[in-house]
Parts: sequence; C-alpha cells; structure tokens
Amino acid sequence: MLKWYKEIGKNNDVVISSRVRLARNLKSFPFSAKLNEEQALELVENLKAATPVLESKSEKKFYSCNIDGLTDSEKTAMVERHIISPLLLAREQSTGLILSEDERISIMLNEEDHLRIQSITGGMNIMGAFAEANAADDVASELFDYAYHEKYGYLTSCPTNVGTGLRASYMMFLPALNVTGKIVKLAEELSQYGIALRGTYGEASKSVGNLYQISNQKTLGSTEREIIESLNRIVEQVMKQERRYREYILTHNYDEFEDKVHRSFGVLKYAKQLSSSDAMTLLSQVKLGIDLELLHLEDDCNVHELMMEIQPGNLQCLLDKNMGSAQRDRFRADYIREKLPDMV
Amino acid sequence: MLCDKCKKNQAKVYYTEIINGEKKEQHLCEDCALEYTSFSMGSGMSNQEITLGSLLSSILGNYAAPGSLHGAEQTEKEPVCDHCGMTYSEFLKEGRFGCADCYDSFKKGLEKSLRNIQGSDTHTGKKPKGFESGTEKIVKELSEIDKLSIKLQDAIEKEEFEEAARLRDRIRQLKKEEINNA
Ligand SMILES: [Zn+2]
Ligand SMILES: [Zn+2]
Repeated sequence: MLKWYKEIGKNNDVVISSRVRLARNLKSFPFSAKLNEEQALELVENLKAATPVLESKSEKKFYSCNIDGLTDSEKTAMVERHIISPLLLAREQSTGLILSEDERISIMLNEEDHLRIQSITGGMNIMGAFAEANAADDVASELFDYAYHEKYGYLTSCPTNVGTGLRASYMMFLPALNVTGKIVKLAEELSQYGIALRGTYGEASKSVGNLYQISNQKTLGSTEREIIESLNRIVEQVMKQERRYREYILTHNYDEFEDKVHRSFGVLKYAKQLSSSDAMTLLSQVKLGIDLELLHLEDDCNVHELMMEIQPGNLQCLLDKNMGSAQRDRFRADYIREKLPDMV
Repeated sequence: MLCDKCKKNQAKVYYTEIINGEKKEQHLCEDCALEYTSFSMGSGMSNQEITLGSLLSSILGNYAAPGSLHGAEQTEKEPVCDHCGMTYSEFLKEGRFGCADCYDSFKKGLEKSLRNIQGSDTHTGKKPKGFESGTEKIVKELSEIDKLSIKLQDAIEKEEFEEAARLRDRIRQLKKEEINNA
C-alpha cells in the first residue's frame, strides 16, 4: 500500500491531506504530569504489546519502537512527515511509537497523553482517516482499560482535549489566499467558529510553501461526526475562496503569473544549491502552476511528496550519511532536478 | 476596569501570559477571553499551551472566589487529588490533570471552566466498547421480573392492555419457576 503522501487524493489542488488524532489515557497509570520514569517505561512497554494485536486485526504490518532507539535524523524525518510531534521528542520520560508500514496510522506512546492515535490520508478524506483511527482505538480499548468518565468522556491530560479527544485537521495548500493577504483575516474568522488555522511548517501567519493546517478546537459536547461535519463545511468554504482567488489571479495577472511559475521551474531545474525554504517556495509555485495548467510536465509529479522529501531530516535519511548544510543544499538541488519531470 | 482587547466591556478575567520569559499582563472581558482561548488552544506548541494554562487558571480562580482575582490560590482548604496527590493550585499552574481521578477531585469549578473552554461540559460522542453508564449498570442488575414489571407499568399507563396481560402472565410464570427452583 502507498504511503499516504504518495497518494493523490480528492480535491488535491487545495487539500493535501486529512488527519485525525484521538487522545486516550489508561485508567491505571497517572497522566504525564505525575508519571515517574519507572512508570513511563512500564507504560510504553505495556502499550507496545498492542502491536501484534493491531496487526492481526487489520491487513497491515505494524512496527513498534522506543523513541530513544532512533537516530536524530530519523526522529527529525518523522516529525517532517507528521508521524510524530515535536512534543514527543521533547518529553524527558520514556516514549514510544507504533507505526503502520504505510505510515497512515501512528500511535505515539506517552506523549502528552498515554496514547495519541493518529491516521493520515492524502486529499480530502477525513472520514476515511477517522475510520482507520477509530478501528485502532477499538483494538486498544479492548486491550486496555481507558480513563473514561460518564459525563466528561475520554479523560485527557489537558482540559482542551477532553470528551472525544478528537482533533481533525486538514493540510491545505492556500497560495492564492496567502498572496492576496487574506490568511490572517481568515484565521481570525475561523477562530470564531472554533476552528484554528496555522502554518504547517513554521508559525501561525508565516507558513513555508503555503501549507496550512485547519483543525477543530473543541472536543467536548459534540459527537465525532458533528465535529468532522462542521469542519468539513468550513473547509469547503475555504476551498471555494482559495479557488476563487486563483481564478482572480489568473484573469488579472496571467502573464506575470505564468512568468513567475516558469521562472520557479527554471530555478528548480538548474540551481546547484537550494535551501529548504527556497525549495519550498519554488515547489509551491510549481504546484500551483501545474494545478492551474500553466505548466505542463512530461510525467505526473506529486509536488507535495517532493516537499516532504526535501526537508532536512528526510534528505539526511535518503542519503544515509551525515551532511553539512551546504552539502545538503547541493544534494537537495540534485535530488529535485532528478525527480522533477521535464516540461512538455 | 475595561477590557484591554476590545476596550468596551468590563474586564472580568485577569490574565498573565509568559512568553520567552517575558511577563505580559492583561485584563480581558469574558468574550475576549473566550476568543483568546479558542485561538490559542491545542497548538502543541509550548508557548501557547502555557497561555492556555494560565488563562484557565484565571477563569477557575474567578469562579472559585468572586471578587478576588487570585482567589483560588489563597483559599484555606485547597482540594487535593487523593489518588495522584496533585493540588488544585498545581493543576491551575500547569493546566494539566495528574490522573483520571483529578477530574472528580477538582469537580468544583471544573464544569464552568469546561463550558468556557469547550462550550459544553458533557460528552456526547463515542464510548469505549463495553462501557456501561451508571443507569445502564442499574438496569443490568435488575432481575428479569423487575424489568418486566417496569414494562408492565408502562403498558398500563399507555393503555396497551393486551401487552399488559401478556407481561402479567409472563411475570406470574417466572415467579412460579422461582418458587419451584428454590
Ligand atoms: Zn473584550
Ligand atoms: Zn489525580
């Protein structure tokens, strides 16, 4: 099965991927704030035992590991591919990971909550992602006694996750909303509906590669389906707006825009060194050019997959040896040149 | 005092935020406080988590002792979670529960603050497989005869007399069996 980021999904011109996260805790262990190292280690070992059961209940292969066992570049690469959170790496106690071979399902062990079950799919398919996470949750709930409260639902370490423990998020490609300066306003508007918008790589209003994340904030009081449906309604609106602004740019600045896209392609094809932020900006232009049919390539090209592969940690893993940043910039340029199909 | 953000409403929440070691103090109205929360929630970035924690603590503090801004920390008998030992002020400071029992240990004030943060205090979503609520448990512990008696009562109230007669006969039969088995 394809890794999720190699998959070209529905509405892929705007929606890159869909992700669902469920926060769960076991009744028998203290939450992270009160967990000592001995308990943390025991917790991780207990939870890892779910791996063969998960495997037998699905048709996927699953791996498990302790995070200390990974190399630094493996860790970074996993953060870049959204398999684990930076917080998992920042934790001082023992932490672990259960990961499906296709990387669609990852379960962080002893992050802020005992279990953070996550599922990602390409394109707009949050229900699909939810179904996978939910199935893994069912397996885990049969193995472990969850901290669950009749009134408050799934109990979490932080009161902002209690209830469903569900965070549903879309990774969106919003170059036109960004270039027309609508992002900050949009973020403010969405926050009134309990929806957050922030940069995927980097902070709130500044995002590298025009990639943004849109997710629900409230987890208590609505059912999982209601949370997802209201997020979907908003994402549909954002998608509509993004497409409208793209249309606007095309009709008002066609020549200028076409030139920009082709220049970006030219740099990617001929540069000898590329920093990751330059490469992200250029790739973002090229993706938009392909989506708007301003740029025609000989073969299909999954630009988002490339964006992920050229992040420092992933590049390091690809080359399998330590590189300095100048060396990495050179390798990145070579890699993109080779991967990017020629123009028709 | 007026709200520092909108400068229109009365400030009700006293709110301290520490970002990169710098302390920033704000007085917010409830609306602005709520907006601030929903905006900074759940980012996974530690700065914003701290923001939320202190906002939560100011909301909780307000409800605990109206009129006093830092009331919660000064109340004499501070709630402590028997199970994990977390104190209420520790919870306010961290914005994190120490264990599952903390939810009940800190129940007082929690519902109001959950309504502030989440817009609700009651879960309506998924339950773990096999989870039984209190009422479900009670129902499960009822004997077959008890359950049928409830149904019988219901049938009589709805004037479904045929159904009532059927239930009455079934109850009689079960009672007879019980006597025979004893
Ligand atoms: Zn205000
Ligand atoms: Zn506790």
